[in-house]
Amino acid sequence: MKKQIILTLVIALMSVSQGFAQEWLVPDDQKTLTNPSEYNLSNVKKGKDLYIKNCKSCHGDPGKHNGLPLVPAPPDVVSEKMQNNTDGELHFKITKGRGGMPQFEGTISDDDRWRLINFIRNFDPSREQLLVDAPPKKAKLLASVNEVEKKVEIFAEVESANGSFVTLTDATVKISAKKAFGNLPIGEVLTNADGRAEYKIPETLIGDENGMVNIVVQLDEAYVTDNVVLDAAKVGQLKPQPKLIKKEILWSTNENIQTWLLLSYLGAVGAAWAAIAYVVFQIFKIWRLGKE
Amino acid sequence: MDKVKSPEESRKLLDKITFDLTRSIVKRDEFTNFWYFLLIIFALVGLWGWGIQIRDGLGVTGMRDYVSWGMYIANFVFFVAVSLIGFLISSALHLLKIKWSKVISRVAEQVAIAAVALAGIIIVTDMGRPDRFLNVFLHGRFASPIIWDVTVVTTYLTISVLLYYLPLIPDLALLRDKGTDDIPQWKRNIYRILALGWKGHAEQYKIVAHAMRILMILIIPVGLSIHTVTSWLFAATLRSGWDTTIFGPYFVAGAFVAGVAAVIIVMFLYRTRYGLKDYFEDYHFNMMGKLFVLVCLVYLYFNINEFLVPGYKMKTAESIHLSNLFTGKYSTMFWATQFFGLLLPITLMVNKYFRRPVPITIISVFVLIASWFKRYIIVIPTLEHPFLPVQNVPENFQHYAPTSIELMITIFSFMAALLIITVLAKMFPVITIWEYAEEKGISREIISEPKK
Repeated sequence: MKKQIILTLVIALMSVSQGFAQEWLVPDDQKTLTNPSEYNLSNVKKGKDLYIKNCKSCHGDPGKHNGLPLVPAPPDVVSEKMQNNTDGELHFKITKGRGGMPQFEGTISDDDRWRLINFIRNFDPSREQLLVDAPPKKAKLLASVNEVEKKVEIFAEVESANGSFVTLTDATVKISAKKAFGNLPIGEVLTNADGRAEYKIPETLIGDENGMVNIVVQLDEAYVTDNVVLDAAKVGQLKPQPKLIKKEILWSTNENIQTWLLLSYLGAVGAAWAAIAYVVFQIFKIWRLGKE
Repeated sequence: MDKVKSPEESRKLLDKITFDLTRSIVKRDEFTNFWYFLLIIFALVGLWGWGIQIRDGLGVTGMRDYVSWGMYIANFVFFVAVSLIGFLISSALHLLKIKWSKVISRVAEQVAIAAVALAGIIIVTDMGRPDRFLNVFLHGRFASPIIWDVTVVTTYLTISVLLYYLPLIPDLALLRDKGTDDIPQWKRNIYRILALGWKGHAEQYKIVAHAMRILMILIIPVGLSIHTVTSWLFAATLRSGWDTTIFGPYFVAGAFVAGVAAVIIVMFLYRTRYGLKDYFEDYHFNMMGKLFVLVCLVYLYFNINEFLVPGYKMKTAESIHLSNLFTGKYSTMFWATQFFGLLLPITLMVNKYFRRPVPITIISVFVLIASWFKRYIIVIPTLEHPFLPVQNVPENFQHYAPTSIELMITIFSFMAALLIITVLAKMFPVITIWEYAEEKGISREIISEPKK
């Protein structure tokens, strides 16, 4: 009896601890794992992309403390609560998850999970910050579509320190197609030393019923520029136009009416009115007989 | 047919019959004027309402996105139903060689013409843009039951008018030749024109009989389709309460109930007002009562089918609709129509006592009102429960209640129908004189001999 009560209490405590306990116990062998991924700009950048894709929706922007108001609150990347974890602890928590924190064991590869940790460490005060979010620079973006070769040709310039515009090199240009509900990203390309880039539009891109696509060209958030929208470029495949009423259907339009239905209708109406006409003719005959 | 009488006797009898049956045409007193006044005033009030509706649009009605068929369509179905009696009495019973119904056939045709004409007009009142009415014919879809309905209503109206007119021709000639001076001159001029120079030749009688026979046969499929197609307007949809295969015969059976009631009421009014006790005899009311019980029983049978079978299964959407009818918002109306429109009339009219003129007329009034409400609960409750959720709409979109404009136009339709019946009764004999005289053994020569 006593055992049962204790067991119940333990289970109750455990279930409470799932949601509210401060402690998130990590096995010792996991705690001490070291990050096999090198702490460099490339890995931090990749980690950032992963963070934006998988973590930002709950944990918010780094340093802005704008995570979702959940219980327990998802800590900000810069917070002590986050940074006090060892690499091994972070890795374990990302891998296994708990309560509201999903497990990423199956969705993010192990290498990427370590890269994510590299990104988190970018905000560790004890380390050199590799990735610095500079204030966005003013840039100019020009783009045109080569319909024959199905290419987007891009030229980008950026404002230099003295205020004049110089060619923008090695910048990521995002190309997307404008659809009814937002833009569909179709690819990215880097500008070369001349500030130019060419993007080959994939063959599989589907346009409207005439193959027209509205292409949007934009730089990433590090630059302030107007997006270039190239209206109605004939670079996509024709949109398949399913004929909604292909067959002859009972309730169809006059173009697709079932023959038997049309014939029955016209036949019945014709027969009835022919009979009526015949009766009217009989009335006419009565009148003619009356004149005799 | 009675045995052939001597010419003198025959002439005397024919004079009496003609005198009795032209009383409706001749009689004009204070009440006549008052009756016309009443009908025209109410019809005008209704037309005024229609004017407002044309000016401001259908927003003045209670119809909204969900309930887009309201009282007008219910009223339309009611009038189509009433009109079907013309087909039952003046054709089906005739072809079955049932004698007692001959006297009533012209009353039935009057009711049919008035009802089907109004059915056509009511549809126009339900249109938001009646000026586009012709588009129905110009751009109609042959696959749409609405086009079939428009076609069949016009065809039925034409046949009904012909079926009214053909047996009238000899009567018109008779009134032209033997009519007393009491009949106003302008009416006699109309008789002269419409009689088409009828001389009572055997050949002419033969043509009338021949043409009548064609019409009587033709009106059976047309009459059946008019109400079947009207039912398809509902049954060709997927909505619970309409999505049923028995709607065609169910509507036709219901139509006979409403029509018989209407004819009995009109018969009774003629009998008392125009002193036609010897023509619309107690016997006719008795027989009409028996017919009434028969059609009520058939309709009851369909009602049981229509509600018991889905009520047994209570599928999700169907059960919302049915509980609304059985125990919900429309339960009072539903049970009242079933009780006063079917169960009570059947129970009463199986007794001979209740098939006498006065009781049966009172019952008919109840049945006619019940059949109107019956159409109302066929049309509206189903529309209040669409399959997709009703959301993000104002409160008044979710329920339907007719507005005063709709009431005015509906009253207009009743008044206009009564006006048509009144004008027909005031213009032409309410019973076919020559047929009746022949029944009484008066020969055709005497009927068609000119006045001395």
